[in-house]
Amino acid sequence: MAKILEGPAMKLFNKWGIPVPNYVVIMDPSRLEQLGEANKWLRESKLVVKAHEAIGGRFKLGLVKIGLNLDEAIAASREMIGTKIGTAEVRQVIVAEMLDHDAEFYVSIIGNKDGSELLLSTKGGVDIEDNWHTVRRLQIGIDENPSIERLTELAEEAGFEGEIAERVGKICSRLVLCFDNEDAQSIEINPLVIRKSDMRFAALDAVMNVDWDARFRHADWDFKPVSEIGRPFTEAEQQIMDIDSRIKGSVKFVEVPGGEVALLTAGGGASVFYADAVVARGGTIANYAEYSGDPADWAVEALTETICRLPKIKHIIVGGAIANFTDVKATFSGIINGFRESKSKGYLEGVKIWVRRGGPNEAQGLAAIRQLQEEGFDIHVYDRSMPMTDIVDLAMKS
Amino acid sequence: MSILANKDTRAVIIGGVAGVNAAKRMAQFDYLINRPLTVQAFVYPPEAGQQKEIFRGGELKNVTVYSSLAPALSEHPEINTALIYLGASRATQAAKEAIESPNIKLISMITEGVPEKDAKRLKKLAQQHGKMLNGPSSIGVMSAGECRLGVIGGEFKNLKLCNLYKPGSFGVLTKSGGLSNEAMWLCAQNGDGITSAVAIGGDAYPGTDFVTYLEMFENDPATKAVVLVGEVGGNLEEEAAEWLAAEPRRIRLVAAIGGTCQEVLPQGMKFGHAGAKEGKKGAGSARSKMNALRDAGALVPDTFGGLSKAIKQVYEELLASGAIKPESELDDALLPELPPSVQEVMRQGEVVVEPLIRTTISDDRGEEPRYAGYAASELCSKGYGIEDVISLLWSKQLPTREESEIIKRIIMISADHGPAVSGAFGAIIGACAGIDMPQAVSAGMTMIGPRFGGAVTNAGKYFKMGVKDFPNDIPGFLAWMKDNVGPVPGIGHRVKSLKNPDQRVKYLVSYVKNETSLHTPCLDYALEVEKITTAKKDNLILNVDGTMGCILMDLGFPEHSLNGFFVLARTIGMIGHWIDQNNQNARLIRLYDYLINYAVKPERPVPDKK
Repeated sequence: MAKILEGPAMKLFNKWGIPVPNYVVIMDPSRLEQLGEANKWLRESKLVVKAHEAIGGRFKLGLVKIGLNLDEAIAASREMIGTKIGTAEVRQVIVAEMLDHDAEFYVSIIGNKDGSELLLSTKGGVDIEDNWHTVRRLQIGIDENPSIERLTELAEEAGFEGEIAERVGKICSRLVLCFDNEDAQSIEINPLVIRKSDMRFAALDAVMNVDWDARFRHADWDFKPVSEIGRPFTEAEQQIMDIDSRIKGSVKFVEVPGGEVALLTAGGGASVFYADAVVARGGTIANYAEYSGDPADWAVEALTETICRLPKIKHIIVGGAIANFTDVKATFSGIINGFRESKSKGYLEGVKIWVRRGGPNEAQGLAAIRQLQEEGFDIHVYDRSMPMTDIVDLAMKS
Repeated sequence: MSILANKDTRAVIIGGVAGVNAAKRMAQFDYLINRPLTVQAFVYPPEAGQQKEIFRGGELKNVTVYSSLAPALSEHPEINTALIYLGASRATQAAKEAIESPNIKLISMITEGVPEKDAKRLKKLAQQHGKMLNGPSSIGVMSAGECRLGVIGGEFKNLKLCNLYKPGSFGVLTKSGGLSNEAMWLCAQNGDGITSAVAIGGDAYPGTDFVTYLEMFENDPATKAVVLVGEVGGNLEEEAAEWLAAEPRRIRLVAAIGGTCQEVLPQGMKFGHAGAKEGKKGAGSARSKMNALRDAGALVPDTFGGLSKAIKQVYEELLASGAIKPESELDDALLPELPPSVQEVMRQGEVVVEPLIRTTISDDRGEEPRYAGYAASELCSKGYGIEDVISLLWSKQLPTREESEIIKRIIMISADHGPAVSGAFGAIIGACAGIDMPQAVSAGMTMIGPRFGGAVTNAGKYFKMGVKDFPNDIPGFLAWMKDNVGPVPGIGHRVKSLKNPDQRVKYLVSYVKNETSLHTPCLDYALEVEKITTAKKDNLILNVDGTMGCILMDLGFPEHSLNGFFVLARTIGMIGHWIDQNNQNARLIRLYDYLINYAVKPERPVPDKK
């Protein structure tokens, strides 16, 4: 799942003939002055200025300003660019035309296991949640292309009439094309607006998710997906992501501020169960982590050091299932080095470490990490005979 | 009994090195349960025509790599299963071909990162053809005592620990690959092991869902219970719950669902597998899945650790009800061990292997090469030079500063002798013919012999003999040489003479004798010999080969290393000539007619063959 920003989404809409308002994405407010000279719409329309960043709740943070003229828009851009929200900084703003309109509609398309489903309602805008019963749906099988007639029919079923129904049908048809050809996972346009005086439609706001795994066949995807964790990445997360992109296998790391139990766990499936076990036993997780696919020891070492630096942690859970092919001895040597290095830098004071793991070379790996007891680590090591997440129970009871 | 894979399963692996590694793991299992090799062929165009070596125990098998699926299947009509080990951009097409091949009934994809649209298309295609598609992102399928598809089950030791050599009573279904292995272990530890285990992959749209496999397990009489490991996202677990509740089922269901932690995470924060994403309004949350499964009658512990107890409980209930008959434990000692490699046995000191070669000069087994024990970088950092390396590798001695200076001068003096001499000329002809450096230089190198540069060794050898056998008896030495060898090696020059001495010889002799404290018995002897020979003929002087040979002998180099100094030094010159010719883009050369005396028979008719 990869959410993309409005700018790239609008570009893809344009490519597939889905009407969008005029817009520009800028990094330098003085560029907007020049763009104003070149574009009539910037001078003559009411404008909206939004921070073009992956920051949730932009409206409340004052990062969306509406109903502006060009000068006000330039001033708003100046104000927004450079604003810091946590670790994120506003570097770009999107300036778009605020289209005067007569009605707001809702249209979305969401992938499912048999293809996708198109949703359509005449009651778009902020009230859509309350009017969910007005939504009409059409299941579209994989590689099926519903005809414009069928889509117009759907629009009519949803309550659109006459020429508007025809136009909505056509927009839906293009949306289906865009969804299919751009490997989208979901596109939600809310609202799709109409100005009846000139029958002009526009997708005023849109959220689009694309399948990032399909990027190898999209040469024109010049964007990066937005952080999936609901906030910008921290520096430590960014560092682990950089390592992840360079190695065979993978290392992952997400910080959860305030937690007391750090996770240094292996495998995409098992790691989640460890986080669950901490929560189920009344603990708080300080992070989510995962290494899998037999990553290099140095990558695991870097992950270990990052985890040891988490503030306020009382326990570290070095957990994992019985690996199929990840070498326990090799990955543990990275963990051991990471622990030693962290201790020498003054971390791990009063931190208890709990280990449970199995897999290739498990005996050597576990014996090696058990050695840390003699170096003054408060470490408890268990083999496969310990039920996987029961080390969490032990940690929480201690 | 089992599902998906059994004793009749024969597989083709489509993919490169990862596929070969999987085939090796699979062959270990084949060996453990004493069945024929599961993998019959590879398909991988870049390596088409090659044979891959696969050990089934101690037996070496060669498995052919084909350029495409069709010839692999026509050569091996028994193949009924395809395993896809290609990257995401090529895996879809390979899977499509496999689905469309009539003989192939099961396709399992390990490929991660297959675009969702491709996965959906493949699923539809498989359904249209009535084929089973497992994965993508699946670690594989294991049927205890029957067949292993993929690396599922891990290392050989683990196969035994998890009782995978004999069928048990539990089916295993997981999204995660690591947890399939864990679940197999739990079934062995707390029950009697597994019938089959299937990892369906953690993607959003797996080729086959839990319900389809549950139905297969329900129809497999050997399977009495199924351990299902699911996670947040999608609705496969809800469907499984519906299936379980829909009618009375023969099999018991134990399930663990991952992802409850997302309830307490900051909003929007998600992690885990690609498919592990909650939908709108809590649809597909771990909690709702757990509740649905519990309501349907499945045993669902609140943590994964609780699975152990749950499996034990179900196993004991099944034992009590008589659904499972207690089995006498098989003695692990009866199971075969993987034959160890020669290296492993040698490490344990249980076998002696006669070495093929012996070396006494260098060792590459440490962190860096060592010359006669000294690390190369340490030699550099302590100020040693190339002369010292030559000495270490040729005579295993670290020379004194004085000795190094002499070696350096010998090499400097004999590095080149212009383009006209045999060696340089040979290299130049090679360069002009467009030959690469190593070949052109070795063309020059082949010229080194008794008439060109190759007299250093013999000069050293015989002067040393003279010192030993004819001390103070130069005439005796010369007479012996005349009778047994011929002209004295190292004496005589084509152009130089007493009156027109070789400056290199003059310099070397004077340097060694006046500026070093080297004890020079050979050189002194040769100079005495020169006095006698030049008295006979003006040009019978001690030449540069002779001088070098004597000094090197006096330095203590082994006799047969001496020509090496000329070879090494002159290589520098020949490389120079090759570079020079190439820099000039020199043309192909040949001899002119007028430089050749055609002393052949005049033109004449060829007679009829008799």
